[in-house]
Amino acid sequence: MAEQQLPERQSPLEPEYHPGSHGNFEHGIDVILSETRPGSILQLAAWPGEEKRLIEIIRKVTGLTLPDGAGGGTSSGARAVFGFAPGKFTVVDEAEGLAAAFAGIITPAIGTLTDLSHGRTAIRIAGPKAEWVMAKFFAIDFALPAFPLGAGRSTNHHDIFAQIQRTGADQFDIYVFRSFARSFWKALCHASEEVGYEVQ
Amino acid sequence: MSPRRTETGGRIDRLRTIRFTFDGAPYTGHAGDTLASALLASGVTLFGRSFKYHRPRGLLAAGVEEPNALVTVLRGEVREPNIPATMVEIYDGLVAVSQNRTPSLAWDIGALNQLGGKILSAGFYYKTFMGPVIGPLKGTRFWMFCEHFIRRAAGLGKAGTAPDPARYERMNAFCDVLVVGSGPAGLMAAKAAADQGVRVILADLEAHFGGSANWSGESIDGMPAADWAQRMAAQLAGNDNVRLLPRTTVWGYYDGNTLAALERVTDHKEVAAKGEPRQRYWAIRAGKVVLATGSFERPLVFPGNDRPGVMLAHAAERYVNEYGVLPGQRVALFTNNDSAYRSAVALKKAGAAVVAIIDVRSDVSNEMRRLASDAEAELLAGHAVVATEGGKALTGLKVQRFDAVSGSLSGDERSVHADSLLMSGGWSPTIHLASQAGAKAEWDSSRQAFLPPKPTQRWIGAGAFTGSFSTAEAIAEGRAAGLQAAGGAALSAPLPVVEAVPGDPDPAPVFEIRAKGKSFVDFQHDVTAEDVRLAHREGFVSVEHLKRYTTLGMATDQGKNSNVPGLAIMAEALGKPIPEVGTTRFRPPYTAVSIGSLAAERFGDLKPERLTPMHDWHIANGARMYSAGLWYRPMIYGLPGETVEQAYVREAKATRDSAGIVDVSTLGKIAVQGPDAAEFLDRVYTNMFSTLAVGKARYGLMLREDGLAFDDGTTWRLGEQDFLMTTTTANAGKVMQHLEYFLDVIWPELKVTVTSVTDEWAGAAIGGPNARAILASCVTGTAVDNATLPFMGIVHGRIAGVPVMICRLSFSGEMAFEVYSGAGYGTRVWEALIEAGKPFGLVTYGLEALGTMRIEKGHVTGAEIDGRTTARDLHLDWMLSKKKPFIGSAMMDREGLIAPDRLELVGLIALDNRALNGGGHIVEALDEVNPHDSLGHITACCYSPALGKYIALALVKGGRARHGTRAFVSDPLRNRFGPVEIVSNHFYDPDGSRMHG
Amino acid sequence: MLITCPYCGPRDVIEFTYQGDGNRERPQPPSQDLDAWNAYVYDRLNPAGDHNEIWQHSGGCRAHLRVVRNTITHEILSTAFARGGHKSADNRAEGRS
Repeated sequence: MAEQQLPERQSPLEPEYHPGSHGNFEHGIDVILSETRPGSILQLAAWPGEEKRLIEIIRKVTGLTLPDGAGGGTSSGARAVFGFAPGKFTVVDEAEGLAAAFAGIITPAIGTLTDLSHGRTAIRIAGPKAEWVMAKFFAIDFALPAFPLGAGRSTNHHDIFAQIQRTGADQFDIYVFRSFARSFWKALCHASEEVGYEVQ
Repeated sequence: MSPRRTETGGRIDRLRTIRFTFDGAPYTGHAGDTLASALLASGVTLFGRSFKYHRPRGLLAAGVEEPNALVTVLRGEVREPNIPATMVEIYDGLVAVSQNRTPSLAWDIGALNQLGGKILSAGFYYKTFMGPVIGPLKGTRFWMFCEHFIRRAAGLGKAGTAPDPARYERMNAFCDVLVVGSGPAGLMAAKAAADQGVRVILADLEAHFGGSANWSGESIDGMPAADWAQRMAAQLAGNDNVRLLPRTTVWGYYDGNTLAALERVTDHKEVAAKGEPRQRYWAIRAGKVVLATGSFERPLVFPGNDRPGVMLAHAAERYVNEYGVLPGQRVALFTNNDSAYRSAVALKKAGAAVVAIIDVRSDVSNEMRRLASDAEAELLAGHAVVATEGGKALTGLKVQRFDAVSGSLSGDERSVHADSLLMSGGWSPTIHLASQAGAKAEWDSSRQAFLPPKPTQRWIGAGAFTGSFSTAEAIAEGRAAGLQAAGGAALSAPLPVVEAVPGDPDPAPVFEIRAKGKSFVDFQHDVTAEDVRLAHREGFVSVEHLKRYTTLGMATDQGKNSNVPGLAIMAEALGKPIPEVGTTRFRPPYTAVSIGSLAAERFGDLKPERLTPMHDWHIANGARMYSAGLWYRPMIYGLPGETVEQAYVREAKATRDSAGIVDVSTLGKIAVQGPDAAEFLDRVYTNMFSTLAVGKARYGLMLREDGLAFDDGTTWRLGEQDFLMTTTTANAGKVMQHLEYFLDVIWPELKVTVTSVTDEWAGAAIGGPNARAILASCVTGTAVDNATLPFMGIVHGRIAGVPVMICRLSFSGEMAFEVYSGAGYGTRVWEALIEAGKPFGLVTYGLEALGTMRIEKGHVTGAEIDGRTTARDLHLDWMLSKKKPFIGSAMMDREGLIAPDRLELVGLIALDNRALNGGGHIVEALDEVNPHDSLGHITACCYSPALGKYIALALVKGGRARHGTRAFVSDPLRNRFGPVEIVSNHFYDPDGSRMHG
Repeated sequence: MLITCPYCGPRDVIEFTYQGDGNRERPQPPSQDLDAWNAYVYDRLNPAGDHNEIWQHSGGCRAHLRVVRNTITHEILSTAFARGGHKSADNRAEGRS
């Protein structure tokens, strides 16, 4: 299909997305919430034994080198990658069209590529109380030694499945199913009221 | 100055006065007071009425185990009943009321129950609510009428009915070492672990860390113990690796060292800060746990031991030393052990007259004799209290000579004039959490207590919890436990030095003084020693049965005071030693836990919900939404004044007449990709998918392993190794799990990935005679004519500049298309289709019209694929491939699954032109009063605009053979009985000419 | 209860779905041996002690795991990815039921 300029995508958060300061902010703002709206969110999967080849492809296409180990990941300003399941990786790019860059390189002998750019919503939480607020939702350890910079985690909050990448000492990017995104966002705002939050 | 407040002492802030009300009367207290200490300081002695007999009750304890002084705290319309006054921190504007009294605490009509004491004995409820089995009232409603009043008379506080507006939150925490309890042992353990650099959580149910150090009057390292505790807590607070959780009760110890705790975040505040939760439920996953939960002092069981003014000895010490409140001016003590002597000294020091120490032991040590004389108290060794006097406050007691070995009383009764009687029946380690963790407590005959056994989970005990009752031992054990938990080596550094009153930790084995009058074992449930013996006489020998029959230990305090005395009395009745009678296992929660904290954020507006990309459009355009699982879907788009039936009939009719559009984004969508994707689908579906051409879709059916139908949907072949599977909305998650299971566990050799892409795609189904024309007018980049887009064909094009994927398939039975676009463009495409449909009278339709059209077509959904039906039952046997095995193929032909009398899918037409109901039964006989011999039931029903009749789908025995016959629908619950005709499930356009068009 | 996922590490049991007795063996299609199928679909071991179980980390990486769990103490003795064969590598629970 010929590339042509596509219209802007609708955010699932729109009616509940209120930039500004909220909650107990008079005492300081301890978390900042935002929707990062990346253009591309891809899921790459390697067949058992093909992981290294896939990691090499990811490096060639994105310039990001995945560290060893389960759930390892890394991010640059515009791009991020992390493992979330055995042989499976999430690759994110600010720009649209990253799927096209991988198409043809990930051969059937290596694995599969699934475009989830519309299907997942990316929400960022940053600030000194980010770990505190995250701990209200997920039964995983957010302390830096247990959850290092760049690493990814798959977990859930009740029925809401989430992939989480630590993109800063006190910053996390959360990828949730689009249909749940508004519900999760509302809950996230609610949980952040106590510490004072700003929506950017 | 309050009548009972001491001049100095305690950790209350005497400069800050707090105003509150109790039973409507205004009171004052100081910052740091509990409701109990503030009322006691104000001279209040009567705090509650007992459960059964409505006896006046005062404070027994000073902490969480308080059984008598239960109050209801009111906040606006919201009432929280049954909170121990000892655990309520006062704040300005606190409103508390007493419980279980009518009309007032001082004058309670229910106290008449005391006169009928014999009737209300053990097993009263079991005996009473059977009702009379003989006599004139047998089998009448009279007894149920009485029951209403009996139940009202017995009880605790009343729950409120107003919605609770408070916020509750759940919190997950991880640590290397969790220390439960912050007495000297807990503080030492937390400090030792923290110094090793590991992550530590220290939790205590009280507002202030320190435990017994706050009131023991001892000194540690040359300073008052309370100051030492404060200094330790301050040091801990300065550590980054330590989280301090005051007002946090660890109430559950679960597998894998997962512990549950409840933090009372704002219960002690007049106003919560913005966003601050009232309570926080902590789920703590701990590497190791240090249990430093201390011990409870036990009451002694003797006549009148429940009179207001009778209090546990340490509680009095605590009121004096921690809150600066004297429980009485003339104090007597009654004990079976040494610890009460320390209490006597403390009371004396604070200004009370200690009139007597009554000790059941005849040989009291010289050290204790010295303490008694320090307290200027008369020591009555080898004596016991046999009665107490007074009404709503104690005026005196009677003592008699007592033999601790035989338990016999002798000599004359002697009166002692006192307004406060402090008792100590020995100490029981607080082993609840260890018991919850699976440990069976062991009886220690010298401590006369159940001690924690060897740990079965990763916990270490320290201090009074282990039966080491002295502060010096607690400090040593605490440090050792903390080090061990943190994996550190033993330290040789000197331990803090304790100066304390000496004492033997072992009590005399005396639990009860048997004399005339009611002797209470369980104060909260009004269980007496005689009740325990009655249960024994009536044949109850097991401690578990005893507990249920007498309700001993089953009140809100869960036997914290009564457990061991009750067991001892039972053991004596049985003539067995206590360890042979055994103890019950403690179960969570340790203290009452609010339902709100457990529900936390999964409540009201915050419960997870799923919205389609076009959700806001539906709302803005008048859709009435319907929750389908977690999804919200339009039910109808009603016009003003329309009923639901009118709306869906209009929507369905317009669709069949011209065109209609429905949001189908909720359908489960799974990307099935990889070299073995086609092979995998052949194994998963009953029919073939490897033969499907790229760019085509096929309807597929899945069975379960047991051969019953599981799910259906279309699967689209987008590429040689790339399929898009659709599932029913309700089964999307189950199908996903089913596929993953087979790929992971059964066929790991298949190279296939399955990914949920439900949320990637927005889906709109547009159907009706004009559907193609509408599409043709707005789609670019592809034709949609029959040659380009045949039935089950797929094309790619654009609508409103956005890439779309269009598949020609039909659920409604009309010429229909499903238009998929990226979810972020869903509304844009939807609006473009609506706009294009305007000249054609395109309607939006909801689930009701969708259901109506599928019933008219006889398609099945989850109502028919109900886990009991086979493909044959649903007339889908044409989909069962004979060329290959598939999941369920080996089991689907079992005898019972091919029997001729199975329920089969049929259609029904109401012959009386009245609506049919889902769940109604089909019967053969015209017998409305006594319907019998059900042939089957209705699964779905509607008014069919196409037929002009009320119709239904049903599962009926021998289904197809009954086509053309008549039967009756019977639905007695909804008063519906009437004739129906059984027909084919394909009501409408059975040869499919409309959709193939 | 915590289950250690070989990929995600120790996680709370709320993230997992129990997927049945791990001792069952699925007959190889096109076998029509109804007794074998019946045993696979319906028969479950229920030992008081160590048990081979299958759990899915449904709220995490979604991998299926072979878990050896003591049904009395709830202690998890081992976990491994299910992928890699029908039979558990750890057969400790067998013959104990």
